[in-house]
Amino acid sequence: MFSEQARQTAGQCRHYAMCKIDYLGTGLCRSGEENQYVSHFPQGRMDIYHALCRGLVPITRGLVEIAGSCDLCGICDKQCHFVTGMRPVEVMRALKTHVRQWLEQGNQPVQAASDPDLEAMRRIVGDKWASNDPAVLLTYADDPFPLAGMRTPRYVALPKSREEVAALVRFANTRNLPYVVRGNGGSVFGFVFSDGLVMDMNRMKGIEIDRENWTARVEPGVTSFELQKEAVRHGLRANTAEPAATVCGNIVCTGLFSTWSNAYGVNADTFVDMEFIDSRGDFFRLNDPLAANAFCFEHKLTPAPGICTLAHVRLHPSTEDEEGLMVPFDDFEEAVLFARELSTRRIGLALGVLGGHYLSTFMSPSAELADKVRYGLTHALGLRYVVFMVGDRFAREAVRSMREFVIDSKLFRMLMLGLPRLGDDEWLDLVSGMHTDQPPYAILLRPEMYSLLEAVLRPSPETAAQAVDEDLQDFYAQLYARPQMTDMVWLNMFRIISARMSRRKHMFAFLVYVPLDRVQVIKQICGQLGRIADKYGIENDYGFLTPLDLGKRAILEYDYYIDHQDPLEKEKIRKALKEFEPYLDNLSASTKGVKWLKYIFSQGCARKEAFLYT
Amino acid sequence: MMVQTRKQQTFLVTGGTGFLGSHVAVDLLSRGHRVLVLARGRSNSSASQRMEQLLNWFGIRKDQRMDLKILQGDLNRPGLGLDPRDARVVSRETDETVHCASDTSFSPDRREQVERTNILGLENLLDVVRESPCRALHLVSTAYVAGKSRGLCAEDFGQVREFHNVYEETKFRAEKIAAEHCAVNRITLYVYRPSIVYGNSTTGRTTLFKALYYPIRTLHFFQKLYTRDILENGGKKARDMQVLLGGNGVLHLPVRIQSSDECGLNLIPVDHFVEAFMAIRRGCPEGGVFHIVNPRSTTISRLADYTRRFFQLEGVRAVEPDEFLKQPRNGLELLFDSYIRYYGPYMQDRRIFENSRTSAILAGQNISCPEFSYQVFATCMRYAVETDWGRQL
Ligand SMILES: Cc1cc2nc3c(=O)[nH]c(=O)nc-3n(C[C@H](O)[C@H](O)[C@H](O)COP(=O)(O)OP(=O)(O)OC[C@H]3O[C@@H](n4cnc5c(N)ncnc54)[C@H](O)[C@@H]3O)c2cc1C
Ligand SMILES: NC(=O)c1ccc[n+]([C@@H]2O[C@H](COP(=O)([O-])OP(=O)(O)OC[C@H]3O[C@@H](n4cnc5c(N)ncnc54)[C@H](OP(=O)(O)O)[C@@H]3O)[C@@H](O)[C@H]2O)c1
Ligand code: SF4
Repeated sequence: MFSEQARQTAGQCRHYAMCKIDYLGTGLCRSGEENQYVSHFPQGRMDIYHALCRGLVPITRGLVEIAGSCDLCGICDKQCHFVTGMRPVEVMRALKTHVRQWLEQGNQPVQAASDPDLEAMRRIVGDKWASNDPAVLLTYADDPFPLAGMRTPRYVALPKSREEVAALVRFANTRNLPYVVRGNGGSVFGFVFSDGLVMDMNRMKGIEIDRENWTARVEPGVTSFELQKEAVRHGLRANTAEPAATVCGNIVCTGLFSTWSNAYGVNADTFVDMEFIDSRGDFFRLNDPLAANAFCFEHKLTPAPGICTLAHVRLHPSTEDEEGLMVPFDDFEEAVLFARELSTRRIGLALGVLGGHYLSTFMSPSAELADKVRYGLTHALGLRYVVFMVGDRFAREAVRSMREFVIDSKLFRMLMLGLPRLGDDEWLDLVSGMHTDQPPYAILLRPEMYSLLEAVLRPSPETAAQAVDEDLQDFYAQLYARPQMTDMVWLNMFRIISARMSRRKHMFAFLVYVPLDRVQVIKQICGQLGRIADKYGIENDYGFLTPLDLGKRAILEYDYYIDHQDPLEKEKIRKALKEFEPYLDNLSASTKGVKWLKYIFSQGCARKEAFLYT
Repeated sequence: MMVQTRKQQTFLVTGGTGFLGSHVAVDLLSRGHRVLVLARGRSNSSASQRMEQLLNWFGIRKDQRMDLKILQGDLNRPGLGLDPRDARVVSRETDETVHCASDTSFSPDRREQVERTNILGLENLLDVVRESPCRALHLVSTAYVAGKSRGLCAEDFGQVREFHNVYEETKFRAEKIAAEHCAVNRITLYVYRPSIVYGNSTTGRTTLFKALYYPIRTLHFFQKLYTRDILENGGKKARDMQVLLGGNGVLHLPVRIQSSDECGLNLIPVDHFVEAFMAIRRGCPEGGVFHIVNPRSTTISRLADYTRRFFQLEGVRAVEPDEFLKQPRNGLELLFDSYIRYYGPYMQDRRIFENSRTSAILAGQNISCPEFSYQVFATCMRYAVETDWGRQL
């Protein structure tokens, strides 16, 4: 017997791997920590239960062990709820119940037969760290990318060292075994699948900080979250994006862009050197004069230089007086021009233009509240767009001298902790009735209003926690009592709220490098992607924009939202692809400064100048 | 046996879900006319459901609804978006048209929408009734088509060059369009120009809680907010704002409202509007322009006084502008100030709306505009609070 509700939840796992990092201080799923395979993390169990319901996987010994090793501790309920609003424990319970009942009926689990290839790989990585158990393999077979189907590997291996990786490559070559390397699978673009071997880098977690050189050497299993934590411990900061992405994977895959890229750059700006293993199983460093040139860029789909076994990344200083600031705008173009001006004048470190949709989604602990306050934020407060900045005291003073109305860290904290009351109907009625010739924030964000806003919102961790299920309210109240949870700098460094953008549905993101001095081009891209999506009935919205290279260029995100389990939605994307692909291809080939990320994939080590200015 | 001496008249009323449109439609029904109401549906309720709800609010019995026909439509669409059967009814049966529908937004960024409804919407309506036997057009306009004119504003189609906002401007243009159309098509045009309309002067009932109500509602909100802060949370926020609760239950709410005693709001109750409308239609077969206004304005100072009394408040008062030089505005006052400044032309009005024609007609029928007394104010506010400013209607 399967639980329909659990099946549905299981099918909605987004594969962003947030349950693989301890980002809320809850600790990690013990079974995952011990066994390291994706199958032993909540994400894997979600996939397994979903597959079991659809008869896609037999009950194997591995599966029995995976189900049994969950002690229903509840950690994943908290972690997953924080970003997706889902409660996976129900799935874990259903999985355990199903397996227990099945065994009680006298059934025997299937034992996957070993074979010489598996044995050989086990000799390289150790018995525990290579598997062909179908339940394990299943969790390395698919992601929510709507344009590809399932692709189950024959083996999964988790090497512990660079030598083991090299040995696996050489072994795969001798056996003609195709292989792919997997960080945390958070690219969700169908990249980490193979019919042969998946090398999961999760056991290679070494980080070494070089304080004098302002750098860190990280192994390929290290996530951005882990690196950032270590950097902060040393009083430094790394350029990181999605927290669960591996640093090596992120650099290789997308060139690692974030709002920090305004100051710290993208692609080759991020690292000092990288070590790779080539297709023959030999090591090389990018800085080696004899190495193939990975710093150049080719306008075509290109494979990665190899498997990255070490990234020697740059770290950056931070100052005590850094804080976040948001500058509201009614109009997109005005916001973009302002962000550009800040970037050109070198004001601020992290910079981005966000829409009201992202803002409400990021700030709200639940999807319902996000929907409710979206109107409040965008219309009642007038925050249709905000320019977000992290800057020191001087940068913030400069911004204040340029724009009268800003949301400083104190006000942001108040809004975040009082968010459930911002959506209060009576207050919204009042504010939206207050038609004036100025946007509402021009009145509401004045310092004199602070006390009134505070009286209305009554901000507190408990107020914020009201937005979530009752049994999670205590947990959320404790969480929001931590200053960092409402600190724009911390939140932007550890990026733990950005995955909320796909809370309602999986997101299919378009990332395009754009010329920041030609706002019309940017608007045209958003407009055209919006039109294509509308034509096929796909939900869509502007995402964000971050200036680069002193305001000359920017990276733009525009998102489509789809239910990846709904075949109709997949079909819509397939149809839309026939229009957006040629559109972005042509634009990337013909318009200076425009480059669709599709061409950067796997060329993340290239110098940004090689593709931004061609 | 009753002998029907006059044919039952059929009125097409637009804006049937609105404040004035619904009152006019219901009054016409009660006078035995047949009424075709143009109304829009919303995402969660059809035009009929919305109208039914309103008729319930008015307490109209089912049998009294027989002469009402609800036409789902939208001014912004050609042919008003009517289905062909409804369109036929309109073109065959309309004797008179009452145009109350309007986009009443002032906001400059809604210009396109306001123009579409108030100009294009009127043209669409005129196209539809052109084919009908309709011989009279009753256009509900506003006294504020006077725009930035000063002093005495004439009760005619005079020239106005400057307006405070897109609402005034489009209402003015709509009058001109209607006048031209009616002249060409030999339709009698009535242009009604009410000032600010509030609830019923004897019952306080209303469906619209804007204009007069909004600033008072804001004060009421502050009152509840700070009373709760004082009673439940130790009153820190109240102290920050110098809000105090006296032993007698009176809340001291320091809100100074910039004003002067030479100006005020011109307020008329909805019952007077309807009565005047009917009297003018009856008493003036040749049509024309009619200012339905109050001969006496209400000053902000008086309004503040009423508000203090009714809501048991202290500290809310009208002051001269230089008061703020001595002590800058607090947060509560800033909110007020932005509102009062934006609605300045209506809240601090120095204009005088000439209404000799209207008052002659009304006087002839013993109709006069009720005074905006404390009693009337209190009745209206009681109703507003009871219905939570319309949220519990
Ligand atoms: C919600 C969300 C937001 C995102 N926002 C951003 C963003 O702001 N900025 C950004 O840059 N990206 C962003 N991404 C994309 C994602 O973070 C990157 O694709 C990142 O690479 C994922 O890291 P991973 O370790 O999970 O890589 P995987 O998905 O495991 O792998 C990605 C690719 O890199 C290859 N790869 C992985 N590890 C290695 C290695 N050691 N050596 C060589 N190749 C390797 C894989 O084979 C694959 O082709 C976002 C993704 C999501 C889901
Ligand atoms: N109330 C006052 O104080 C006052 C003062 C002076 C003049 N006036 C004038 O009186 C008239 C009525 O105002 P009111 O106070 O009754 O305003 P209201 O309550 O806001 O009513 C406006 C009406 O117009 C309808 N409407 C708007 N756009 C429409 C469209 N595109 N198609 C069909 N219907 C549309 C509305 O329908 P929905 O319900 O579907 O939105 C509503 O029924 C207006 O012309 C206004 O200018 C009012
Ligand atoms: S409930 Fe189970 S799957 Fe979830 S974190 Fe705990 S042990 Fe892991």
